[in-house]
Amino acid sequence: MDKRESSGAWGRRQFIGSAAAAAAMGLAPVSAGAQTGPWAQRPPGTPGPVTFVVWQYGKIYEQIARQFEDDWSVKVNQIIEPNVEPQVAKLSAMYAAGDPVDVSLSPMQYLANYIDQGIAQPIDGLPGVEQYVRDFTPFTRAIAQRDGKTWGLPYFSTVWMFMYNDELLARAGFKDKPFRSYPELVEQARKAKRDGVAKYPILWIGGQGFEQLPGTWFSLTCNRGGVIFDKALVPQLGPGSAARETLRWWQSTFKDELADPSSLNLRFIPAAKAFNAGQHVYLGTLHHYYVSLLNDAAQSPIAGKARVLGHPGDGKTIGYTMLYILPSTTKNREWAWKLMQYLGGRTKDGQYTQANRLATDAMLGSGYQSVMESEGLRKGWSKWGDVPTILGAWSKASTFSEVVPAVSQPWYPRWSELMNVELTGCLQGKLTADQACDNMIAAVAKAKKA
Amino acid sequence: MRAREPGAGALALLLNLPASLVLLLVLAWPVLYAGWLSLHEVSLRQLRTGEMPFTGLANYARLFRDDVFWLALQHTLVFVGISVALEVTIGLAVALVIEDDRVALARVTRVLLLVPWGVPPVVNGLLWSFIFNAQYGYLNRALLALGVLREPVNWLGDPTLAMGAVIVAYVWRTTPFNILLYHAGLRGIPPEYYEAASVDGASGWRGFWHITLPLLRPVIAVSLILRTAFGFMVFDEIFAITQGGPGNATWVAAWYTYRTAFQPPFNVGLGAASAWVLALILALTGLAYARLVGRRLETA
Repeated sequence: MDKRESSGAWGRRQFIGSAAAAAAMGLAPVSAGAQTGPWAQRPPGTPGPVTFVVWQYGKIYEQIARQFEDDWSVKVNQIIEPNVEPQVAKLSAMYAAGDPVDVSLSPMQYLANYIDQGIAQPIDGLPGVEQYVRDFTPFTRAIAQRDGKTWGLPYFSTVWMFMYNDELLARAGFKDKPFRSYPELVEQARKAKRDGVAKYPILWIGGQGFEQLPGTWFSLTCNRGGVIFDKALVPQLGPGSAARETLRWWQSTFKDELADPSSLNLRFIPAAKAFNAGQHVYLGTLHHYYVSLLNDAAQSPIAGKARVLGHPGDGKTIGYTMLYILPSTTKNREWAWKLMQYLGGRTKDGQYTQANRLATDAMLGSGYQSVMESEGLRKGWSKWGDVPTILGAWSKASTFSEVVPAVSQPWYPRWSELMNVELTGCLQGKLTADQACDNMIAAVAKAKKA
Repeated sequence: MRAREPGAGALALLLNLPASLVLLLVLAWPVLYAGWLSLHEVSLRQLRTGEMPFTGLANYARLFRDDVFWLALQHTLVFVGISVALEVTIGLAVALVIEDDRVALARVTRVLLLVPWGVPPVVNGLLWSFIFNAQYGYLNRALLALGVLREPVNWLGDPTLAMGAVIVAYVWRTTPFNILLYHAGLRGIPPEYYEAASVDGASGWRGFWHITLPLLRPVIAVSLILRTAFGFMVFDEIFAITQGGPGNATWVAAWYTYRTAFQPPFNVGLGAASAWVLALILALTGLAYARLVGRRLETA
């Protein structure tokens, strides 16, 4: 059996089949029925201002809010917090106080809580939802649909990948031959170090966080056929587990001085900027769109030399979709839905305006099959990276929640914090992989208790 | 015929009434409401629906069974102990220096000292998070340039260093308050005492020990009470610098309360119980300080 199409991964056939189906149903971004679809209909009534509560990403919200106001003559109250934590606090405080919120963002790990607390409400039955759902990618379905209900529209999607500096790789004697297995990665790194190409050939994403340090471990574990929790939420970190062996191997890259110790201080953007200094051969593992930062001539000395690379072996990796939710505190469900579509669906003209803009301007992936298959996305992405390689990684990616099913548990955020400490301690050489994994298993009970 | 003037007691009551009413409204009511919440099962959903089942002391029982709460309390005590000791020691030392007009730039320093005090706590936290940043931070850069370090240190990512980093940031902001208090206290000590001591052959150290310190004791007592109280409530620097991390390393009591009540899974009842326990500890500490200082003042 071809491992590339093993269960859990987004198989090539499934990918192409779903895209074809979506296109056949007239869901491609520029379809004939776009102008007459439900997105073009004005909801009843003339509402007061509609409100969204989000965390910042460039200027995307100002732009789309302006378009909404121009199209419908309804004012948008924009509450844009600097990052996730204050956004969560803001949303929960507004919810508790009964302040109207029409659209918000949900971090993956908090959605279960939002549903449980009644903050999020399902969007089923609203005009056009079924068409959106048919166009959802598997990543989006995995996060947006639970208990037979649909809980929002996609913000963006991504997969974890490796990146490399092709000039340094060539100088190490491996021109156009990036590694295809872990022993090969070690061999190339040793050679690059021996030849003085790089003091530390590998720069890992090792900065603590919800998805930085853990994301690297999760993607490597997934790539080796493992999971962090099974479906019954039992940690799969015991002796001999893929996760434990992956951690042991990962630690060895630091012990052998192939990996830069400063990796442990670097989250996504700082790591990308450090990689831009041109002193590392490989960077891993991180969201695919960071290659746009590496190949941006305005800010990267290695612009044009950075390449994306799928995970070794069968190429399995992880990915996810982030979601917009419809809070139950909205005063006008129809208008809230209209606003939500501007952020995570179609605008009045039937286009996936925001998703397309995020793809072409910021290289983000989409939670919609038709956008992922669109020429616009390919063209947009090709400015920065090799599109077939990225889409190839996409087709082999499992959803984050498949590898870490506990991510939707209320206790997961606490466990994640404790896990970060163990991972860091292990990679710093203060703990063995066995000790770290044993501590992480014990931390599950602590997190549940807390 | 002139109206009869109110007695001193009645006048005091009358004058205090508006302020007391406002305080009752903005302070006592939330405190009492938090106490009520702590005796009920309350999450965000229940806050919205208004259906909050009475659970008695269940939230307190759960709180005392929670290892993280005890850890947060332990961290708080360490934080308070170290930060108050530093605030008092550094504050006193600096106050003595700037009190001496012979010291060059003493007057300028007196003004500049107000700068950290004027920085909002969250801004102070952000500022120090830049300084401590492992990759771009000024601290690592300076220490590397001076040859003190060979490799950058992850000040905020290492559980053994993070609390120290937060304490430094906090003490930098709060010590000027102590300096101002002590400086005012020093101004109140008559110079004749030192002149007399000098005539008797007392050294500067003996003058400090037998004149300055005893006469500053009431001021130090006030600063101890206030700084201890504020130390127990530390939140902003934790929020801006470490968010309680790495792991549990900088979880303090106020952070525990915030995280429990205002972050998923939004256990408002438990958070309120934690806030009440913290308030109780503060009240007892203040009381103990007041009695201790009062007794010493009587014997002085």
